[in-house]
Amino acid sequence: MLLKIAWRNVWRNKSRSLIVISSIAVGVWALVAGTGFMNGFMVSYISDSITYLTSNVQVHNSEFGVDKDINFYISDATEKADHLTQLPGVKAVSKRVLVNGMIASAKKASGIEIRGINVTQEQQVTHLDSTLIDGAYFEGVKRNPVLIGAKLAEELNVKIRSKIVLTFSDSHGEMVSGAFRVVGIIKVSAVNLNASTAIVRDTDLQSLAGIGNNYHEIAVVTETQADEQQIISDYRNTYTGDLVQDWKEIAPELAYASDMFSNMLYILMGVILTALVFGIVNTMLMAVLERIKELGMLMAVGMVKSKVFFMIVVETIFLGLVGTPIGLLIGYLNVSFYTERGVDLTEYSEGLEAFGYSSNLFPYLDPSVYITVSIGVFITTIIAAAYPAYKAISLKPVEALHKI
Amino acid sequence: MSIIQAKHIQKTYNADTIPVHALNDVNLNVEEGEFTAIVGPSGCGKTTLLNILGGLDDATSGQVEIDGTVITEMKDSDLIDFRLHNIGFVFQSYNLIPVLTTKENVEFIMLLQKQGDDIRDKRAMELLKEMGIADKADKRPAELSGGQQQRVAVARALASKPKFVLADEPTANLDSQSTSDLLDIMAKLNEEEGITFVFSTHDQRVIDRAKRIVYLDDGKIVNDTTVK
Repeated sequence: MLLKIAWRNVWRNKSRSLIVISSIAVGVWALVAGTGFMNGFMVSYISDSITYLTSNVQVHNSEFGVDKDINFYISDATEKADHLTQLPGVKAVSKRVLVNGMIASAKKASGIEIRGINVTQEQQVTHLDSTLIDGAYFEGVKRNPVLIGAKLAEELNVKIRSKIVLTFSDSHGEMVSGAFRVVGIIKVSAVNLNASTAIVRDTDLQSLAGIGNNYHEIAVVTETQADEQQIISDYRNTYTGDLVQDWKEIAPELAYASDMFSNMLYILMGVILTALVFGIVNTMLMAVLERIKELGMLMAVGMVKSKVFFMIVVETIFLGLVGTPIGLLIGYLNVSFYTERGVDLTEYSEGLEAFGYSSNLFPYLDPSVYITVSIGVFITTIIAAAYPAYKAISLKPVEALHKI
Repeated sequence: MSIIQAKHIQKTYNADTIPVHALNDVNLNVEEGEFTAIVGPSGCGKTTLLNILGGLDDATSGQVEIDGTVITEMKDSDLIDFRLHNIGFVFQSYNLIPVLTTKENVEFIMLLQKQGDDIRDKRAMELLKEMGIADKADKRPAELSGGQQQRVAVARALASKPKFVLADEPTANLDSQSTSDLLDIMAKLNEEEGITFVFSTHDQRVIDRAKRIVYLDDGKIVNDTTVK
């Protein structure tokens, strides 16, 4: 019956209860939607960074990790890449030649990384062909084709079929140059690839660099649920001496961003729920104060204080139990709608791309967020109920009974 | 046999500043089965005395013994439990729980006593029948008249099978007919079931029906008359 009384008490003042329920629902919706949108940014940022920059796992010559000297290539890279392809959880592997050098057009020169790729393998790893905004994926130019990012193309003031010159030190330390022709312009959110990378065929770069059929990097993309550490461990069991790293080691700032965004849920939850606490305390305090006589009577006729306390807490929990599912449902529908359609942030694309974010946002929510939010609201209602409930049990029955 | 024994009850408000003596050395014995009215002018200490006898308020000094148990030395938590099992209360403004039905209001006390569903249901209906409002069992207090609400309050007070019922100005908010009906019910309960009633009142209609009248003035008992 105590639960019945508590439930009916919630509806004694319908408009007041509805206001609190609405504020809980709005708070929960804001939490769910806010987290979904933040996660969308994070997931797309990390996913793009992994796709275009770090891959899930990379293998290098151990010396190359310290000094990116052109001669620190991976021994037997092709054999190792083939071995990696066979490991469980590995989706695709691509071998790369990496050289730091200069790119020059008729207008301007700039420092870049030159990435020599196996055209077919790289398609499976970075899907560069799908990021082309102009030109074709290594088609249409037979000799020394090059892909560059839109940002770099703009800086160099070049377009499709424009000629550019790549200059770098070869394996003997001699400066070498090669004339390349722009075959495609790509646009990705990863800043480095967009603004300071030239992508050429591995054979063209190997030939210019004089490093034979050698590679500096093996990039590995894994299946979604694959254990990267297991792949690294399997590789190390067969081949020793190479530097094998997962994306968190390669780009610790990404792991930090991932942790930071995860914590943002708690920060956001803290802010919203704290505001909610004050609203609930205010309402429940009013509910207690206008029922002083009744509460005095309950204690006078023999209701122990713990039960009075419990009743007030349960009333508050009921408010949360009504408001939370409404907020969760609206939040879920909201996030789902935009997850399918995406949020077009083209208007802010320049700013977003400067930080490596995509201008098309797809909110994402892990189902555990709904549970975390529900638990958060539940705890909040208990905290918010504590003070009004304490006020209720602090009443002396005889004084409460004679309050007007 | 004395069911209530109040010895040298003193109640002083504002003891540290300007002391107001609400009760001054009050001694009162109430026997089982009495129908007692505590009367006197406003502010004479009627309600204060009733609150102290019911364990709702502390006496500054003195002792209250209920059926052999000294309640003036009890801890708050024990006192709540003692009230639940031994004392029935009827308040001037009914103080029913507005969100419960008439029957649920009566059952509520038995629920606090952890009585089973069947016992609660049976006794609540019996009491409502006795009060003549069984047909209002599913109504909320707001749907009842003042007199009907006070009858529910009496039923609630009796639901716990208390040793006695304390009623603070029970007819103050009632019209003549409702007062008369209520007094009939309480007198019947007193005569037929031997239930002890102690009222505080300045309502002449209640005084006329009382078997014992205790006159209080300035916090002192000035007269104690048993009506033959």
